[in-house]
Amino acid sequence: MKKLSVIGLVSNREELMEKLMTLGVVEITDQEDKLSDSQWHEMVARDSDEQTVAEFESQISRVSQALSVLEKYGTGKKPLLHTKKPITLREFQKALERKQQIEEKVAHINSLSARHAELTNSINKTQSLKLSLEPWIEYDVPLEEKETSTADIILGVVPSTVDALQFINELEEKVPESMAKLLKSDAEQHYIYVVCLKEKRDDADDVFRTYGFSKVHFGDMKGTVKENISALEKKVEELTAEKVQIEESIRGREGDSEDLELLYDKLVILRDKAAIRQNLLVTKKTFYMSGWLPAKAADKVSSLLEEVGCYYQIEDPEKGEETPVLLLNGGFSTPFEAITKLYALPDSRSIDATPFFSLSYAIFFGMMLGDAAYGVVLAVITGLVLKKYKLEGMKYQLIKMFFFCGISTAFWGAMFGGWFGDLVAVVGKTFFNADVSIPPIWFSPLDDPMKLLLFCFLLGGIHLFIGMGLNGWLSIKDGRPLDALFDVGLWYLLLISVTLLLVGIVPTVAKWMAIIGAVGIVLTGGRHKRGLGKVIGGFGSLYGITGYLSDVLSYSRLLALGLASSVIASVVNNMGSFGGPGIKGVILMAVAFIIGHTYNFAINGLGSFVHSCRLQYVEFFGKFYVSGGEAFQPFGENTKYVDILREEN
Amino acid sequence: MNIVFENLLFNGVFLAMAGAAVAALAGIGSAIGIGIAGQAAAGVISEDPKKFGQTLILQALPGTQGIYGLLIAFLIMTKIGLLGGDGLLDITMAQGAYIFASGIPVGLVGIFSGIAQGKSSAASIMLISKRPEELAKGMVYPAMVETYAVLALLISFLMLNGIQV
Repeated sequence: MKKLSVIGLVSNREELMEKLMTLGVVEITDQEDKLSDSQWHEMVARDSDEQTVAEFESQISRVSQALSVLEKYGTGKKPLLHTKKPITLREFQKALERKQQIEEKVAHINSLSARHAELTNSINKTQSLKLSLEPWIEYDVPLEEKETSTADIILGVVPSTVDALQFINELEEKVPESMAKLLKSDAEQHYIYVVCLKEKRDDADDVFRTYGFSKVHFGDMKGTVKENISALEKKVEELTAEKVQIEESIRGREGDSEDLELLYDKLVILRDKAAIRQNLLVTKKTFYMSGWLPAKAADKVSSLLEEVGCYYQIEDPEKGEETPVLLLNGGFSTPFEAITKLYALPDSRSIDATPFFSLSYAIFFGMMLGDAAYGVVLAVITGLVLKKYKLEGMKYQLIKMFFFCGISTAFWGAMFGGWFGDLVAVVGKTFFNADVSIPPIWFSPLDDPMKLLLFCFLLGGIHLFIGMGLNGWLSIKDGRPLDALFDVGLWYLLLISVTLLLVGIVPTVAKWMAIIGAVGIVLTGGRHKRGLGKVIGGFGSLYGITGYLSDVLSYSRLLALGLASSVIASVVNNMGSFGGPGIKGVILMAVAFIIGHTYNFAINGLGSFVHSCRLQYVEFFGKFYVSGGEAFQPFGENTKYVDILREEN
Repeated sequence: MNIVFENLLFNGVFLAMAGAAVAALAGIGSAIGIGIAGQAAAGVISEDPKKFGQTLILQALPGTQGIYGLLIAFLIMTKIGLLGGDGLLDITMAQGAYIFASGIPVGLVGIFSGIAQGKSSAASIMLISKRPEELAKGMVYPAMVETYAVLALLISFLMLNGIQV
């Protein structure tokens, strides 16, 4: 990363921003800290164009709302993976000459969707009104008849906890000039209508109060309840029909989504261009900006700045200064950056672990999935996806990584002789009564698991040593060679000698190496502590050998998971063979094959992914990796739907 | 009567099959673990149905114990000739007892690690409900638990592999 500072004329600002955006390799940093510095504060002010940003924001939200409406009601099939559509700059600009029209389309779609929401709302309202009328369906007096000249007609409910008959009896007893009828009861209440003489109304109200009778009003509804209900039903029907119609016309607008996407991306570009001015400082006639750019892009950026006519400075960051982090790796390692990113980006002052673990990741994954046929399937599927879709970013890296892992799986599977487990042998035996099998190139782990276990420990040892070595190298680079010697060199000595002792090669030399290593660790382990801590720290540090032991043992999962997938595969094959020869047997075999191997592939593929990650994250990263960097976010065209192609000139 | 009963229980084949049964008990742990994770996952889905795929991956993680148990049970059954081969082999009491012992690690560790892993998966599901981008980290925590099920599987396998029949 290089640090960039630019001073230019305000009149050139637009042009520069436009070109930087197209180039897309410069991160323009926020100038908050400079503004709080009084010296800067006197001279400059923050440039900004909030009004324009807000205007674009609201346009963007309108377009994205219309797009989501189209997606919701559209029938268009979504592709499995979202990719950006390539489009030339000229086509892009030409399409946007119709901006006015596209905006009208957006407005139209949004108005349709607003009407749709309105309809949904009134359908709900009508339906709940209808529901509230339904209990009264037997009441056949028109609702506008609320009284006669001498009597009141009262509709109301009492809670279901009250005995309705008792209420009616008491009412008729206390106010003989009245009559009540229970229409219906449900879980919550009893629906009752009462007719009583107007002059006795006060007495009736007393009874109402005792029983918690509450009146129900139907507003200015006319006609009987039955008539009302059927009117409401008709209304719901009409509204629903209109709703369906609107959904259809939204669907008819689906062809517009392409235009809308173009407009969306254009608006995002314009908004970003306006928003970046937040990060500039201006005087009356000049502006200032600073930021970061990858060292590789320095030439391009400086020629661009010359062209626009700005004063600029590109320099290395100061020692210890934090910079944004951009991972750059070779062709094989690049996809494995995904694993690093899933953990956390490295601190800008430390190193990127990716190139150091990419190979071992593929090896571990391959050994754990451990079946050549699974590997071929994985590589073919991911290969096809890579060929068919133009993916980018994290998705591309993960798929490409699984492609490499698939190749590695095929390799290890062939070494260990697993092709869908022992499918060939089982099929041969069941259907052809023949003794055939694909022999392993190296050996079959089921025959000699101890050999593979030791091989796993060996791989683990190498993996750990690489991690420790990186730790030592970082210490040396940092100007602390003694730390490298004490914390890594002595451990190398001790661990190698212990291994030699275990295996029994050159025991005397190994013994002395072990003693030197162990004593050295006890003497130096507590060097950063004081007093008694030095002694305790030294022994504590030596006790760390248990940590290395468990680290190495952890690699036994390579064997165990590899066995798991190959044994499950043979369980599947075995189950398939229960049908014996003949057509039934073939069908059973096919069913067991498809279901069983798909399941085994999925669950063990997931396991291999997770456990390879764990070996890297816990065992390897734990030795040296410093995370915590901020990702490099260049100012560029952050389009969502299209990829704008420019002819190189 | 007594003698017949003894013959039935204390013979090599029965002990070996009991070993396979114990190994398969690891499925208890997986079932409970997946259940715990499933409860958490359903809660997350009620808020955001789009996370179904992610939560399903995390929910599947405690399922491996059951598979390891199945694996050892299957190997035991193959070893004594119950599956494939030429019918039941003649297993002595001692051999049967050894095979029984080899089924214990994966079965016992599977039960407890499956439950523990389920809890850890549930916590990871909660994690991705708030930070879906941290799925990888959420997968590593349950994998830490699984290590011990893997080790038990390895011990069971090596023990079984060492027994001569």
